[in-house]
Amino acid sequence: MRIEKGNICNMQLLFLITGFVQSSISLIDFTVVITEHQTWMVILAGLVIATPFILSYVALAKRFPGMNLIQINDAVYGRFLGKVISVYYIFFLMMTLSFNILDVGELYATFLMPDTPFIYLLIFFTATCAYAVTKGLEVLARVSHLFVVVGIIVPVSTFLLLIDQMDFSNFLPFFELPLIRVFHGIHIMLSIPFGETIVFLMIMGSVNKTEGMVKNTLTGLLIGTSSLLIAAVRNTAVLGNTEAIWTSPSFQSTRLIDIGTVLTRMDFLIGIAQTVLIFFKCSLFFYALAVAVSQLFGLKSYLPLVLPLAGIEVIIAATVFQSPVDHAAITQDAGIIYSVPLMFVIPPLSLLIAKICGLPKPERGKGV
Amino acid sequence: MTKKINIKINILTSKLVLCLLMLFMLSGCSGGREINDLEIVIGMGVDKDEDTGNILLTAQVVKEGEMEKSSGSGGGGGDGKAFWNVTGTGESVFESVRQITHKTGNRLFVSHNHVIIFGKDLASEGLQKYIDFFLRAHEMRPTAIILIAEGRALDVMNAKPETEKLPAMNIAKLVKTYGFTSHFYKVNMKDFASCLMCDSRSPIAPLVGVSKDGDNKDIYMSGMAVFKNDKMVGRLNEDETRGLLWVLGKVKSGVLLISFPNKQGKAAFEILEAKSKVIPEIKDGKIVMHVKIKAESSLSEQTTAEDLATIEAFEKMQKAQAEVIRQEIMAAFDKSRELNADVFGFGEMIRKKHSNKWKSLKDKWDEIYQTIELNTDIEVKIQKTDLLKKPASPKKEEK
Repeated sequence: MRIEKGNICNMQLLFLITGFVQSSISLIDFTVVITEHQTWMVILAGLVIATPFILSYVALAKRFPGMNLIQINDAVYGRFLGKVISVYYIFFLMMTLSFNILDVGELYATFLMPDTPFIYLLIFFTATCAYAVTKGLEVLARVSHLFVVVGIIVPVSTFLLLIDQMDFSNFLPFFELPLIRVFHGIHIMLSIPFGETIVFLMIMGSVNKTEGMVKNTLTGLLIGTSSLLIAAVRNTAVLGNTEAIWTSPSFQSTRLIDIGTVLTRMDFLIGIAQTVLIFFKCSLFFYALAVAVSQLFGLKSYLPLVLPLAGIEVIIAATVFQSPVDHAAITQDAGIIYSVPLMFVIPPLSLLIAKICGLPKPERGKGV
Repeated sequence: MTKKINIKINILTSKLVLCLLMLFMLSGCSGGREINDLEIVIGMGVDKDEDTGNILLTAQVVKEGEMEKSSGSGGGGGDGKAFWNVTGTGESVFESVRQITHKTGNRLFVSHNHVIIFGKDLASEGLQKYIDFFLRAHEMRPTAIILIAEGRALDVMNAKPETEKLPAMNIAKLVKTYGFTSHFYKVNMKDFASCLMCDSRSPIAPLVGVSKDGDNKDIYMSGMAVFKNDKMVGRLNEDETRGLLWVLGKVKSGVLLISFPNKQGKAAFEILEAKSKVIPEIKDGKIVMHVKIKAESSLSEQTTAEDLATIEAFEKMQKAQAEVIRQEIMAAFDKSRELNADVFGFGEMIRKKHSNKWKSLKDKWDEIYQTIELNTDIEVKIQKTDLLKKPASPKKEEK
């Protein structure tokens, strides 16, 4: 039984993926501490390595048209093991969503509204996401291009405004860091902006035509990665060796904009972009979480779960880490480990099993 | 039917209550501060308290009322001061900042802070422990200019300028217009932190002093302070500073003065453009820095009656200007060697170009720096002679 009744087109899928990848623009800060001036190459390496895995998600969605991840797990692994794997996915969705909500809270508490109680920030942001989720996937998809525009305009405009302060020798030497740090950075990149696209296995079942899904997914990934690259290049070229010391290199670099002493204090642009983009990502995660839980429990609609899940997410976000230092350390080291099987092992394995076993089995009387 | 209507009314009432609640609860930030409650700081000075050895922090706060009065009466009015230099002491900068609230009654609003001046005694002691607050505080801008006072920062901040109402704004203006002479350079907090974090590069910061002319105190810029790690170890004079800026490609404009061999006058040139390229070379274990400079200038003044607008004279003057530039560069280089401070960032250039070799050079960079060879290739082109082709001088009889 399908819970989502709405359908989205291929072009909307492209915008959804682009916006989703762009929304990790603030999360590259987790990598900057490790990969410093080589962050740009880590992003590119992450894209190259993640692409085959992301294509396996698309192949899985095409093989099981109209089905979401929970249904695919049931079909491939059987009712019991399928449910266990689905619970693992739900745990991942739940934790990742709360971490992203926390990111917004930390952004506001550090830069924009330092005196506002942290919990208020979390509640209002989560409530906004919950409202978006109640409107359904179709509405989110219909407005996705607006988010993408923000995700392109802000990095490009701040890049241009800072061009006179850029020193491209900051990228030299190209290969200076120990390989272990580069691999660590690639791992973070693989897991955060790219691996998290696993969430689209909850959405791709609603795409009305499966043809062109590969092309649109790849285009979306490329556009989204371009925004990440522009931001990473801007930060390194402007901040140089200080890049790794700032809480948010993007904020710090845009705070340096000073065009004729008139065009200054442009960090509000980063504030707007990050809020809007993380809202978009959180809404997609929240939607996927609500649908996944409803599917697991065989509910007819995901709407009754939105409010309780929102409450749970706020509680997790407010209590899971003691401080932003704790948050960064766990995200960089531990957080990305538990998600690896979900992103890079189970989907290709599911595809392999489906191919070997000839899944999905044609329904009687319907043919393939 | 009535039940349905009642439910609709209930929903409508809840929505209305929610809207009203939002109207009152979300109408402003809980940390909002009214403008008349703000102590707007435009400059800060950090000194060592002579009595306690603690930090003496001076915050220059704008007196909004006086600003209005003085603008209305053409610069006069009141006690003539549109600023209040309020001080606080403490064991850390942040503690001193909060101590100031004992005098102001309000928290300082440092978002408009333009300059941060450190006293010479603190600079000699090491700035690393004092700059953290200025980089970390969320209201502080990384564009704030860092300066070193020749004496105490408090004295610099007390010197009331003749044309500007606020000393800190005057200092910021002075530094920002460094390009007229290129005898000093603007360094902001981010740039200073960046140099401080380098393995080899020595930070620099503009020096500011106070001169007394009767009762008047004037602010003047006097070259650059040179740091070794975070401690001030010396200074570059005006020519040495420009020598440094030639190599860094930061010369915007300035005056190049050349004398004629017969000592019968001088020619002054305005620097129009300057570009530099530095290529490090490691040859048989010896480091050679190849500095290539291309500059353009215009003849702005001559004190000789000779006609200088000739091809031969141009060639001679171009060479003479190149020689002046070379001398300035060598003066800066010699001073940096004397102080053993790599202000040029040669070590950083080698790290970027020859990263493998840098690993072995890094630890003994101080000794290696003394052996570096500087190879200059300077090309100057005179672009124009401004409004005169020939000087206005009595005609000489043709022989």
